[in-house]
Amino acid sequence: MLGAANKVLMLGWELPPRFAGGVGIVCGALTRALARRGLDVTYLMPQADPQAPGRGVRVIGADRVATLGVASPLHSYASSAPPVRVPGEAVPPDGTPLYGANLLEAVERFSAAAVDSVVDEGVDFDVIHAHDWTTFPAGALLRHSSGKPLVAHVHITEFDKSGGAHADPRVFAIEQAGMCAADLVVTVSRRIAETCISRYGVDPSRIRVVYNGVDADRDDRGPGLPLRPLVLFLGRVTLQKGPEYFLRAAQRVLELEPDAHFVLAGTGDQLPRMVETAAELGLGRRVLFPGFVDRDRAAELYASADVFVMPSVSEPFGIVPLEAMDRGVPVIVSRQSGVSELLRNALKVDFWDVEDLAGKIVAALRYPSLSHHLRDAGREEVGRMSWDAVAEQVQRIYQEVARA
Amino acid sequence: MPSVCFYFQVHQPSRLRRYGVFDVGRRHDYFDARLDEAIVRKVAARCYRPMNQLLLELVERHAGRFRCAFSISGSAIEQLERWAPEVIESFQALARSGCVEILGETYYHSLSFLASADEFHAQVQRHREKVTELFGTRPAVFRNTELIYADALAPHVERLGFRGVLAEGADAVLGWRSPNFVYAAPGDPDVRLLLKNYRLSDDIAFRFGDRNWEGHPLSAEKFAGWIHAVNGCGDLVNLFMDYETFGEHQWESTGIFEFMRRLPDRVLEHVDGSFVTPSEAIASYAPAAELSFPRFTSWADAERDLTAWLGNAMQASAHRSLYELRDAVMRSGDADLIEDWRRLTTSDHFYYMCTKWFSDGDVHKYFSPYESPYEAHIGFLNALADLALRAGA
Repeated sequence: MLGAANKVLMLGWELPPRFAGGVGIVCGALTRALARRGLDVTYLMPQADPQAPGRGVRVIGADRVATLGVASPLHSYASSAPPVRVPGEAVPPDGTPLYGANLLEAVERFSAAAVDSVVDEGVDFDVIHAHDWTTFPAGALLRHSSGKPLVAHVHITEFDKSGGAHADPRVFAIEQAGMCAADLVVTVSRRIAETCISRYGVDPSRIRVVYNGVDADRDDRGPGLPLRPLVLFLGRVTLQKGPEYFLRAAQRVLELEPDAHFVLAGTGDQLPRMVETAAELGLGRRVLFPGFVDRDRAAELYASADVFVMPSVSEPFGIVPLEAMDRGVPVIVSRQSGVSELLRNALKVDFWDVEDLAGKIVAALRYPSLSHHLRDAGREEVGRMSWDAVAEQVQRIYQEVARA
Repeated sequence: MPSVCFYFQVHQPSRLRRYGVFDVGRRHDYFDARLDEAIVRKVAARCYRPMNQLLLELVERHAGRFRCAFSISGSAIEQLERWAPEVIESFQALARSGCVEILGETYYHSLSFLASADEFHAQVQRHREKVTELFGTRPAVFRNTELIYADALAPHVERLGFRGVLAEGADAVLGWRSPNFVYAAPGDPDVRLLLKNYRLSDDIAFRFGDRNWEGHPLSAEKFAGWIHAVNGCGDLVNLFMDYETFGEHQWESTGIFEFMRRLPDRVLEHVDGSFVTPSEAIASYAPAAELSFPRFTSWADAERDLTAWLGNAMQASAHRSLYELRDAVMRSGDADLIEDWRRLTTSDHFYYMCTKWFSDGDVHKYFSPYESPYEAHIGFLNALADLALRAGA
């Protein structure tokens, strides 16, 4: 007999416009797409924004958590390093690190408050869907109290974030407990599924890989920048994203393409180091560091870019290349990213192979037959990766856990 | 019973190494001889050596009644001479037997007919010289790369002194007609057409080892029965296929060698059962009719057209750019440069850039040394950029 699986309680740490990273965007897009399929989604997060992400979605905040000092902007993916001030970057009013040791405490409070909020708000649900470790304890508690099945969605693990060597044992334990409590574990790539199996001991039969989608968003092209040709990096400027390989490739590319420009957009703890590296490599005015860019500025950069590069050292998924492809920008991704598992019409490199990366950047700039094909076939490919298709997969997973 | 006409294609390309954009203008070694060597040695061990041995046995055992034909590209001949000379010797023994015909083709297994008539003639002549020198026999029947054929080719084939040409028995061309007759080219009645019976050819080449195929397992008896069933509606059955069918595409474990060992017995036990070479077929059978190929047809894929090599913009652009350099390359008089340019004309380079199935995710449908068609395109254009510098173009 089929259990009902139409009412979903989604647990997230961030949601646009209150978001810090890619996971918030992913949660928002998935939630909207599920609502479009006619599912009734309640989105519970630490602090709700009055602006709901779309029709059919109700967003509630576990407000008691919010009043306990977890201020906006929430940033669950921050490193524990001291925050870095970058000119132009938005910083919290008081200038203090938001999380760090406090994050664990906040997660604990959210977990406790979540159950109360669900009861107080009278939320009715068939399935619990929790995103990443910050919401796993809440998910497990709710599963226990309601008896409803839990889907644990892994976008990134502590293991990936830390490269394995410096995984926080407390975070690791919370992740493992969440995966263990879940009826099914969803991962955003095979790469992450393998981590869950080998590092967290999850039974492969309980894992489903669901790649992220991308929503067509082609109407917001800005006027573009007068810098051509332009090679774009857009993402957090952290070791994990491999910005240094981008700069080293830039140096090689400039030997052959002296007119090329490189934009390293985004902020992160490695940004000051990258500014220095660019200077050491003698890249001068050929590299620009715009810092944090919002969606409009990002659209403008996509409109100007001749090639987009994501040289990530490790990337659970990596949704930004899909946005670039959707806007007709040829992309180069590292084979160490989850997204490279499913992309066909992208160039691929090993992140450490600066020579190969530089060669492919030059090829994309020089050979129109290549860049045009990547542009057209890439757009078509991304066009098939709609969030609606992802929501269909997720709905099947809900039905699977409800049946069990 | 119709005659059986076997033709086997032997080809190996000169594969490009990972030639990067930073190599342009600095080094000019585009080709990966070590990769070619590894592949040709492997294929020689699995296919060329054992199959040549088997065919020699068949020729001897049937005292001249088993016959077949080969086309061996110039680049394959060179690689065999270098890395598997015993295979050349066994091909020579087969040719000496008088039971095996060697066909003509373009030396570099190129698409030159589609781009430059001059280059096409030069490559066909060069191949004919090489074959004549090596096998002591002058090719009299032509097969163009991948059985690419259209009416436009016929006058060139005639001018080059060939009596006939091999082509795909494509449904789109034949309509209600049968591939099991000799046809004449319209406007060039001295050029005869031999058409591949793709159903029976592909039963061996593609389906032989397929356990889900209703014909599996295919015995020599069963297959000879299918050929016999053509009786009365055809003079001959043309079985055209890659030589690597034997041992490479269909592994030894499928029983493909045993099948071929027995097939001649089963064909020849019929009173009128026989094997013919393409030249003998043309001499023996009058053309049933004229047959027009208005468009280019090939033996590739379901489409039977040129899209496997020139179907996307990368392929078309790379091919066009290559031939744009031809005049400058020839004018240079630099033998090394001309040789490098000609090796780039080999059809395989364009095949590796094919995206027909790649976009749908079925990358394994196409054999390629590259991770993606894009890698193939980039490497080719890098080499071409260097070649243009050398040619002063």
